[in-house]
Amino acid sequence: MDTMSLLMQGFAVALTPESIMFAVIGAILGTLIGALPGLGPANGVAILIPLAFSLGLSPTSSLILLTSVYAGAMYGGRISSILLNIPGDEPAMMTCLDGYPMALKGKAAEALAISAIASFIGSFIATIGLVILAPILAKFALKFGPSEYFALFALAFATLGGITGKNQFKTLMAAAIGLMIATVGIDISTGVQRFTYNTLELFEGVDFIIAIVGLFAISELLFFLERHAGDGLKQVAINKLKLSPKDIVKVLPASFRGAVLGFVAGVLPGAGASLGSFISYTLEKRVSDKGEFGKGDPRGVAAPEAGNNGAASGALVPMLTLGVPGSGTTAVLLAMLISLNISPGPMLFQQNADLVWGVIAAMFVGNLVLLLLNIPMVGIFVKLLSIPPKYLMPVVTLIASVGIYSVSHSALDLYFMVGFGVLGYIFRKVDIPLVPIILGMLLGPEMEKSLRHALVLSDGDWGVLFNSGLSIGLWIVAILGLVLPVIVGPIIRAKMKKSKDTVKDV
Amino acid sequence: MRINDRVFGMLMLILAVVYGWEATKFPIPFGGHESVGPETFPIMLSLILGISSIYLIVRPDPDEKWAPVAMLIELSVVVLSMLAFAWAIEPIGFMPAAALVVSFLSWRMGASIAKSVITGVTSSVVIFFLFNNVLELALPLGLLEF
Repeated sequence: MDTMSLLMQGFAVALTPESIMFAVIGAILGTLIGALPGLGPANGVAILIPLAFSLGLSPTSSLILLTSVYAGAMYGGRISSILLNIPGDEPAMMTCLDGYPMALKGKAAEALAISAIASFIGSFIATIGLVILAPILAKFALKFGPSEYFALFALAFATLGGITGKNQFKTLMAAAIGLMIATVGIDISTGVQRFTYNTLELFEGVDFIIAIVGLFAISELLFFLERHAGDGLKQVAINKLKLSPKDIVKVLPASFRGAVLGFVAGVLPGAGASLGSFISYTLEKRVSDKGEFGKGDPRGVAAPEAGNNGAASGALVPMLTLGVPGSGTTAVLLAMLISLNISPGPMLFQQNADLVWGVIAAMFVGNLVLLLLNIPMVGIFVKLLSIPPKYLMPVVTLIASVGIYSVSHSALDLYFMVGFGVLGYIFRKVDIPLVPIILGMLLGPEMEKSLRHALVLSDGDWGVLFNSGLSIGLWIVAILGLVLPVIVGPIIRAKMKKSKDTVKDV
Repeated sequence: MRINDRVFGMLMLILAVVYGWEATKFPIPFGGHESVGPETFPIMLSLILGISSIYLIVRPDPDEKWAPVAMLIELSVVVLSMLAFAWAIEPIGFMPAAALVVSFLSWRMGASIAKSVITGVTSSVVIFFLFNNVLELALPLGLLEF
């Protein structure tokens, strides 16, 4: 089979010592980033991009590094869920439900081990799904013309708030702000200066990496200061691991179900990892609950963890094949691709086959590394979790600024970074989501280009945007993505909250 | 209270209007008008932002509380310290500037003075040598050059 031979070539890339080294470094860093509360995967990847960039790594190496960080962060998120009852990021929330009660019962080590195995199964199955689905989707996407692409970008923004999004207008607003920032600079097709006010530094536009680090990392620091959260939280002590093969076999079905559901949720636009872990958990509860769920049932740890990791790999499918990311972290990975001058989308699988398949193979390798790392070395990660944020956050901020500084050795970039940090703080205060802003900055140029191509081809007839079945279909999904959350969102959010509250009472 | 969204919506509405108005003032590109010019997409954006700002003004969400004034001042001082760091990195040098800003931040986050100074000095020295010698990305030495 064609795919198989390409994948084998990919392994040839992924198994070179250099690639393995980057996968291991990425896995370790990622787990750390995921484990530290408040840092989160999008944040962590964002901080590392300028570093990878200024180190001059090859595209393949930097992508291997960052996808391993991404996968590792998903593994790491569970550590704080289980030990602190604080999810490292939103998708890890469902892991708290049974993970924390298990830890309270003195089974923290078992919970960590089971969740590591479930995470592995989740990512592994979803990566297989990626191998099967991505080339098919990429081939299909070759049929897309500019008007279909324009509809697809609209769809990406419409569904970004996700089914659990709160205020759709705020998502729209954020997207518009991001797209507006993207229009600053010299217009590519006509050479007209837009919104530059004759400032030389603005001619090339605003660098999205600076914006990402500012919006995420610096605003996070300000929030930590405001909440006086510098001392960190008390965590449950960890016990000695006693895990028999029987215990593992018991959670396997739950992990498989979770993985498949998670993958599907990850691929679909607007669903994302949060929904993946939520569906996996609720389904597992329906299938096998005998009154033990919410009180520390291992299957209740395995299902959402597998779902969460499955969704994380699933989310790479639309990112790689269509160039349209489905989540915050994949948006940040897209930023990496764009800044390496690689345009994602269907052509990626033809023009850069080496790179894509190398990265996919590296995901298999990275997962194995993560599993091996996470079971024996979990104690070390737990120790690091106990470093209070008051020492850690300033150092992380320093590393972030060094990364930004070393890209072009200009203090101006750092001023911009701090400025975006303040903006991010204000946006978060008024509940404007940050991810659509980033996505707007990333997709803006491409979106405008496809609009122009479509309109130039049709000689200014706007009807061209709706003239094929495919583009009409995409527009319908986009509108549904905007409208459905208004109806379904409150119900799902209430359910998620309810299951979370019952745990707090325990 | 639902002030936040109203004020923010108002600000964004102003932005939308100014942005859209400026877009109509773009110079005509070389080669004359086409069906889509550099202003088409920005005008669409300003419409979207305008409509959603009006929605926000009319139907605001409940406010998230702002920090008390003292905290806001403190946050501004922290922001200024980061800007000062950005300014100082070249004339003063990376190590002293970073040591100062990290110590200050970690002190403001609640660490004791002695411990925050230790954090600041160690982290800046370690990062400097890591970047300069291991990763080979030169950071400015500044005052320590001589």
